[in-house]
Amino acid sequence: MSERAKRIAVVEDEETIREGICAALRRDSHDPQTYGDGQAAWEAMQGTLPDLAILDIGLPRMDGLELCRRLRARSDRLPIIFVTSREEEFDRVLGLEIGADDYLCKPFSMRELMARVKILLRRAAQIAEPADAEPIQAIGDLRLDPVRLAATWKGTGVPLTVTEFLLLQALVRRPGAVLTRDQLMDGAYPDRTHVSDRTIDSHVKRIRRKFASVDPAFAAIEGVYGAGYRYAGEA
Amino acid sequence: MTGFSRIGLRLLAFNLLVVFVPVAGILYLGIYESRLLQAQEAGLVQQARVLAAALGDRDTLEGEAIAELFARLERRSDARFRVYDTGGRVIADSARQSAAPAADDHDQGRSSSGDERSARTRLLYRLGAGLANARDWVLSIPDRLRAPVTRSPADQGGLPAEVAAALAGRYGAATRVTPGQRSVTIFSAVPVRRQGAITGAVVVSQSTFRLLSTLYAIRLRVFEIVVGSIVMAALLTALAATTVVRPLTRLRRQALEVAGRRGALPAVFAGARRRDEIGDLARALGELSRRTNDHIRLLESFSADVSHELKNPLASIRTAADTMAESDSPDERRRFHGLMVRDVARLERLVSGLRDVARVEGQIEHDRIEPVDVGGLLRELADAPGAAARSIRVTLALPASPVVVMAARERLAQVIDNVVSNAVSLSPDGGVVSIALTADGRHARVAVEDEGPGIPPSHLERVFDRFFSYRPDDRAREHVGLGLAIARQIVESYGGSIAASNRTPRGARFEIVLPRRS
Repeated sequence: MSERAKRIAVVEDEETIREGICAALRRDSHDPQTYGDGQAAWEAMQGTLPDLAILDIGLPRMDGLELCRRLRARSDRLPIIFVTSREEEFDRVLGLEIGADDYLCKPFSMRELMARVKILLRRAAQIAEPADAEPIQAIGDLRLDPVRLAATWKGTGVPLTVTEFLLLQALVRRPGAVLTRDQLMDGAYPDRTHVSDRTIDSHVKRIRRKFASVDPAFAAIEGVYGAGYRYAGEA
Repeated sequence: MTGFSRIGLRLLAFNLLVVFVPVAGILYLGIYESRLLQAQEAGLVQQARVLAAALGDRDTLEGEAIAELFARLERRSDARFRVYDTGGRVIADSARQSAAPAADDHDQGRSSSGDERSARTRLLYRLGAGLANARDWVLSIPDRLRAPVTRSPADQGGLPAEVAAALAGRYGAATRVTPGQRSVTIFSAVPVRRQGAITGAVVVSQSTFRLLSTLYAIRLRVFEIVVGSIVMAALLTALAATTVVRPLTRLRRQALEVAGRRGALPAVFAGARRRDEIGDLARALGELSRRTNDHIRLLESFSADVSHELKNPLASIRTAADTMAESDSPDERRRFHGLMVRDVARLERLVSGLRDVARVEGQIEHDRIEPVDVGGLLRELADAPGAAARSIRVTLALPASPVVVMAARERLAQVIDNVVSNAVSLSPDGGVVSIALTADGRHARVAVEDEGPGIPPSHLERVFDRFFSYRPDDRAREHVGLGLAIARQIVESYGGSIAASNRTPRGARFEIVLPRRS
C-alpha cells in the first residue's frame, strides 16, 4: 500500500462543510483539494483525477450529479461519495444512472465520512494491487470479498456500494437469521450516523435490484414483515 | 341503500299530490250529482204541470181516458205518472198498465247491469264509496242534527204528504229512499185545476237510479284512475330513487371515503360522466379534489424544500462543531466558530424568510387594491441603498403620461425593490442599472437591467423557484432565495407576470408586466 498522501477532491458550496471536511482529511494525512462549484472542480480535474471525490448534489454552475456522470465517464474506479440533504435523491445517486459509490445524508458525522473514505480508499488500493490474503466468504452462489468489497453471484460480479456491501455482509454472516433494521444499521454504518429505517429498506431494495440484473431469479434476501431481513441462500 | 331517503319521500309526496287531482274530480262529482238531481226534479215538475194543465181541460178525471194519455206518454218518458182525485184515490197509474217495467221507484231490473262488473271493480267501488260515505257521514253530522232526511214528513193517514199538499192547492214534493237501493225516488205533485177549482192531483215520480248508475260508472272509472295513479306514483318514485337518490348516495359514500382517506384524492367521482345535475355535482367534487391534490402537492414540495434548506445550515453547524471538537489548533477553532456563527445567522434569515412567505401568502388576498402610479413608485425606489457606495448609477426612463395599475402599493414596491436591489448587488462597481417604464394600451412594463454576470440560460426560470439563489460567488450564502419567488407570487396575483432574460453582451434583464387600470 502506497503511503503517498491521497488527493481527495471536495466539491461543496457550503463553506463550513467544505472547510470542515478539508480539516478532517488533513488530520487523516490526506491531501484535500476544495472547490466551491462543479465547473471549477471539473476544470481542475482535467489533468489528473483525484484518488477520491466527495461531492454535494446542489452546486452552482454544474451540479454534483452532472460532475459525477462526467467523472464516471472517465473512470470506473474513482471512488465517489455524495453528501447531500436530499434523501429522495438516494436511489438515483447510487443507481446505475449516476453510479456513486456511497452516500451520506446531511447532517452527517465527520467520523462516519472519514470511515467511508478509508474503506473506499482501501478497496481502490486492493483493486489496483490484488493481494489475496484475506478469506473470501462463499455461501451458495454468493461470494463476498471483504478486502476488495467485491461481490459475485454465480461467478458474475455485482457492483455494490460500500454501504450495500456491509449490509449484505451483515446478513450473510448469520444466514437464515432475521436481522432487525437496527442490527443492519449497525453493520452498514459503523458510526451510526443519521440514518432512518427507510434508508435500510432503500438499500435492500437496491441490492436486490442489482442482483436481479445479474440473475432475475435472485430471491436470497427475504423481507420478514415487521421484523427485518434474512439471508435465505443455502450454505 | 337505507330504505327510502328523504328525497325519495319527498318525491313520493309530489307524485301522490298528482294523484289527488282525480280525487278532486270525485269530490266535484258530488256537487255535480246534486245539480243533476235538481234538474231531474225540475223536469218532473214540468212534466207534472203539463199533465195537470192537460187534465184541467177535461170535465171529469176518468181513469181510462187518462190511461190512454199515459200510454202515449210512456214512450217518451221514464217517469211514472199517477193521478189522484180529490178524495185521494188513485184514478190512474202509468206503472200498472205498462207491460214493461217502467223506471219506477220499485224498479230493480236495471241494476242487472251491475252483474257485468267484476267482483274486483265492485270491491274497488265499495272501497271508494266507503271512503266517500265516511266523509259524507262526517260532513252531514250538523245536518242530521237539525233536519230529517226527507223533505216532507211521513204520510198522513195513508195519503202521501205531497199528494195532500197538491190537493190542498200547493206544490208537493217528496224524496224517498228506494227500498234496497242507494238511489232515491223523487215525487212531484201538482194540483189539477178546472176553472179555479181543484179536481185532483198529478204525481210524477222517477227513480234517480239511472242518474246514479251513470255517476257510479264515472266514479268507478275515476277511482280506477286513482288506484292506477297510486301504483304509477310508487313506480315513478322508485324510478326517481334509482336515477337520483342512488347516484347521490354513491357520491356521498365516495365523499365520505375521501374524508377518511390518506394520500391522493380521487380525481373522478361516480357519475361524473352524467349530463345532469348529479353529473355536475360529481364533476364539481372531482374539481375540488383535484385542487386539493394540487395544494397538497404544493405543500409537500414546499416542506421538502424547507427541510432541505434547513438541513444545509444545520449540516454546516454540525460540521463546524465536529471540527472544533477534533481540532487542536486554536486558529482553526476560532475560524470554525466564526463559520458556525455565520451559519446560525443564515438559519435565522431563512426562518424569517419562511415567515415572510407564509405572511405574503396569507396577506395578498387581504391587501387593499388601489390605483398605483408606477412612475411615481419607481422614482421613490430608484434611490437603491448601497448603489452610491459602489458608484453604481441607477437610471430611470419614464413615459410622459402617468401609468396606473391596480395593486397594493406596498406589495408592488416590495417586488420592484427586490428586483432593483438584486440588480444593484450583482452589478460591478461603477456599473449602470437602468429602470425603464413603458406602456401599451393594456399593459405596463417595468424593465430592470444590470451589467452583472447574467444568468445561465438553464437558470432563467429557476431563479423564481423558492430557495433557488443563483450567485456566482460566495455572496449566495447571504441570500435565502425567496425574494423572486415572493415577487412572482405577488405579480401573478395581480394578473401580471415577471420574467428574466439575458442581455448582450452581458447583464441580466428582469421584466415585470402588469395589466393597466382599465
